[in-house]
Amino acid sequence: MNNVVAKTLIVLQLVFSLCFMCFAGAVYTFQKGWRDKAEASARQVSDLQKTLSDQQAARADEKTKLEADKKKLQDDAGNAIAQINQLTNDLGQARAGLAAAEQERDKHLADLLVAQQEAQARITETTAARSEINTLRDQLNQGIALRRSLEDDNLDRQGKIDEAAEREEQMLREIGRLRDLCRVNRVDPNEPVVGPVPAAITRVDGVVRQSRKNASRSAELVEISIGSDDGIGPKMKLIVFRGSRYICEIEITDVYPDMAVGRVIEATRNGSIERGDNVTTKL
Amino acid sequence: MSQQSSDPTIYDALMFVSLGAVIIGIVFWVLTLNSYGWTSG
Repeated sequence: MNNVVAKTLIVLQLVFSLCFMCFAGAVYTFQKGWRDKAEASARQVSDLQKTLSDQQAARADEKTKLEADKKKLQDDAGNAIAQINQLTNDLGQARAGLAAAEQERDKHLADLLVAQQEAQARITETTAARSEINTLRDQLNQGIALRRSLEDDNLDRQGKIDEAAEREEQMLREIGRLRDLCRVNRVDPNEPVVGPVPAAITRVDGVVRQSRKNASRSAELVEISIGSDDGIGPKMKLIVFRGSRYICEIEITDVYPDMAVGRVIEATRNGSIERGDNVTTKL
Repeated sequence: MSQQSSDPTIYDALMFVSLGAVIIGIVFWVLTLNSYGWTSG
């Protein structure tokens, strides 16, 4: 009996020993792979933890930021609500102002109608006034033209007055000279004229018939075609000219009814005398 | 006086094999623990 138990225990010991050997060998064989896998898992877990911590930090930051944005948005919403309230109040005031402005506008429109009617009346008055102004302007132009013509007439008369004054002065000088002449010739200017008074010579024209020097050749004598019948007298001075050219003056020395002889005044000579030159008492 | 037989039997061989297997298992166990530095993890 003991023998059987011993044999059984020996077999069991053999089995367990073999199992232990196989288990230890298997563990020794596969432990490296298991270890690598465990290390890889550990690294992965570490990475995941790190990623998790980063994401948690980012989440915290994002949360903080979102909370700040939320607060800001809440503030903005509060401000917007306040602005809306303010705008609502402004809108009410604006509507009240609009109503007042409309009333004011209606009033101004009524005033405008009155002003337009008044302006129309003013325009009518202005038109009438313009026509009157045109009439007055025409009258003014006529008055100006009349004034100018009167001024021209006045100037002409002033010129005539000046001319008459000058002539008066010349006449006074002539009267003085004639008085002196009468006094020198012992003639009384107050003595009355006896007999007919010869007519004054106005203008007598003639021609030069011939001219020649005197015997001593000290002077040139000219025979002309007008004589005492034409009013020519001794010591009269006549002018000799040819066309528009002045030649000289001559002093009558001998007078006949139809001819006369004059002596050239050398101081007035401006050229030689030829037959046919014109002779006149005044130009 | 009876004389006991001392011839090895099959069970002696099995005991020897089991002892060898235990020794080999202990060797593998030591080598495994050595690779981990004699620590549990």
